[in-house]
Amino acid sequence: MSAVVLKDIYKRFGAVQVVHGINLDVAAHEFVVLVGPSGCGKSTTLRMIAGLEEISEGSLTIDDRAMNRVAPKDRDVAMVFQNYALYPHLNVADNIAFGLRIRRMKKDVIARSIIEVAEILGLTEYLDRRPADLSGGQRQRVAMGRAIVRHPKVFLFDEPLSNLDAKLRAQMRAEIRRLHNRLGVTSIYVTHDQVEAMTLADRIVVMNDGRIEQVGTPMDLFMNPVSTFVAGFIGSPPMNQFTGTLESDAEGASVTIGGARISLPDTVPSDPGRDVIIGIRPEYVSLAAGEASSPVAIKLDLVEPLGSEALLHAAIGEDPFIIKAETFGDVSHLSGLTEVHVPAAMVKVFDAATGRVLNRAAG
Amino acid sequence: MTDLPASSAGSATGVSEPATRATEKPMRERLVRLADHFKREWQIYVMLAPMIIWFLLFLYKPMYGLQIAFKDYSIFRGIVESPWVGWEHFETLFNNSQFLRAVKNTVIISALSLIFGFPVPIFLALMFNEILHALYRRTCQTIVYLPHFISTVIIAGIVITAFSPSAGIVNTIIGWLGIEPVYFLTKPEWFRPIFIGSGIWQEAGFSSIIFLAAIAGVNPSLYESAVVDGASRWQMMWKITIPSIMPTIIIMLIIRIGNLMEVGFELIILLYQPATYQTADVINTFIYRQGLQSGQYDLAAAAGLFNAVVAFVLVMTANSISKRVSRTSLW
Ligand SMILES: Nc1ncnc2c1ncn2[C@@H]1O[C@H](COP(=O)(O)OP(=O)(O)OP(=O)(O)O)[C@@H](O)[C@H]1O
Ligand SMILES: [Mg+2]
Repeated sequence: MSAVVLKDIYKRFGAVQVVHGINLDVAAHEFVVLVGPSGCGKSTTLRMIAGLEEISEGSLTIDDRAMNRVAPKDRDVAMVFQNYALYPHLNVADNIAFGLRIRRMKKDVIARSIIEVAEILGLTEYLDRRPADLSGGQRQRVAMGRAIVRHPKVFLFDEPLSNLDAKLRAQMRAEIRRLHNRLGVTSIYVTHDQVEAMTLADRIVVMNDGRIEQVGTPMDLFMNPVSTFVAGFIGSPPMNQFTGTLESDAEGASVTIGGARISLPDTVPSDPGRDVIIGIRPEYVSLAAGEASSPVAIKLDLVEPLGSEALLHAAIGEDPFIIKAETFGDVSHLSGLTEVHVPAAMVKVFDAATGRVLNRAAG
Repeated sequence: MTDLPASSAGSATGVSEPATRATEKPMRERLVRLADHFKREWQIYVMLAPMIIWFLLFLYKPMYGLQIAFKDYSIFRGIVESPWVGWEHFETLFNNSQFLRAVKNTVIISALSLIFGFPVPIFLALMFNEILHALYRRTCQTIVYLPHFISTVIIAGIVITAFSPSAGIVNTIIGWLGIEPVYFLTKPEWFRPIFIGSGIWQEAGFSSIIFLAAIAGVNPSLYESAVVDGASRWQMMWKITIPSIMPTIIIMLIIRIGNLMEVGFELIILLYQPATYQTADVINTFIYRQGLQSGQYDLAAAAGLFNAVVAFVLVMTANSISKRVSRTSLW
């Protein structure tokens, strides 16, 4: 059963169309992350689901009920905002209880719910504090509490972690995922941070310029990006991309980049002369020769040790090429590097004109 | 009047800060630090200078003249040469039934205009905030702001005309209801309602701007969050808007209480007549008549000083009560 279904959703602000036809099925209990660059329409889409923006065209259903004309309060969704939207004049307990009081629930039910939620989120000792006297992470938790306490059908999150520092963000990210595992409430989560998307999502929706670029599991997007856009968005650092022309000889398809012949997987349709973009993940470059891999001469420019791995900033010809290599506790063996090997199976090939992948089935 | 701290409009956190413990530092060290600060940030002090000069010139220098409240002042002898008389003028004042009447009227008129006048701008601001149609809203705002820009003399003229027994619109209307014309401005019992009412008419709209600004400063996602939670517009007004602008309301209230003794006396002078002195004569009009018309500068200065001391006590009290009760205060 699908919990939330978006069908051909369009959004126009006056004459400007910002969402151009979105189709998305979110299954019950699923955690879906909308990710994409700034201004691509993630928040707008989320706000249409919440009912804060009117849907210009298309249909939205939640639990098989048409929602286009339903007021936000009757959609049974709860939303967590980027700036938490806590009421500064209310203490934590009253903030959490706000939605319940608005719905005129019984006093003892409210009191019990506050205690329960505070326990889940570790807020019990802060119930009397005002938001101004809390840390960023605690405020974030209160905002979560306000959503949880209502037991909604759907949670909507709009960049809830972007005001936190990196360490706290990682910690809260795990907490959100744990909470989802525990409560199992269908969640739609907006972020522009691909790490957040990868770690939280059951499925990721990559958006670009008001359209869905690709929907899939995190690993699916990582291994099989359908376009150069997704390839450049998912993964950190992103996939290296080079433009070239398809060639074909007895050994199969290849592309020549900066003088190096790079063999392509045999799933690439043979079409010599076609302009393509090839994508190579920094993680899938090996330092040693392997079966069916192409040697490539590189100019190493900079080694950035990260601990167990190092980022090598290099170039093939004039094109920048980033490689992620294992350090085995020492980076000295990396500094003199002049040649790396690119396994054919790991190379993605995209059409240069459309940016669409040509060897979808592989790898 | 005191300049409002600009932040008070938007911020909900209040304006006061816990007093720093700098006082315990040795004086020398603090002076050195001040000098350092001056060297580094002298531009700020230059910008501050005109305001400080203005204060010194127009607020502190005149205080020198306050001493005539305790002297038998004559313009020929000058301030310094006039002999001291101690509390004599105050004794005279408090034995003067006109002065006592003026004190009583000041308090009554102030209190009534605070009670009736203070909530009106807040109410207007909340109403404007609920008008969603932009053009309609702007039109309404312009209409209620307008009287503020009319000079008090003209306001008085309008009031006098409106309440005139022969051609005034008020008497015309009650005439339709079969009531005899009343010469309102000669009736002591009508003076206060007319004065307070016209004061509200003139200033309420304009005063609503500060509350509108405070409302505009409320984080919009508070409302969105409340909408998703199911709040109605009415609930949002009571549970979000009003609590959010409460610091502003309290600060405005403190200022108003501080000015409680400061009745807008131009309008009174323009509207009152000997027939209505009984309810209309306030301390400032009394000072005006004693000081400027009868030339008793020392007595008028004593009355003014009394007025200022009472006002000072009022602001201090209001501020400290507010600090304790609501964590909001002017300083
Ligand atoms: N009320 C509005 N009126 C006009 N245009 C709007 C409005 N709200 C959003 N837009 C436009 O719609 C587009 C999508 O905005 P949206 O807020 O959904 O982006 P986003 O993907 O959430 O970006 P970010 O990551 O920066 O939050 C933007 O180009 C924005 O300028
Ligand atoms: Mg956004």
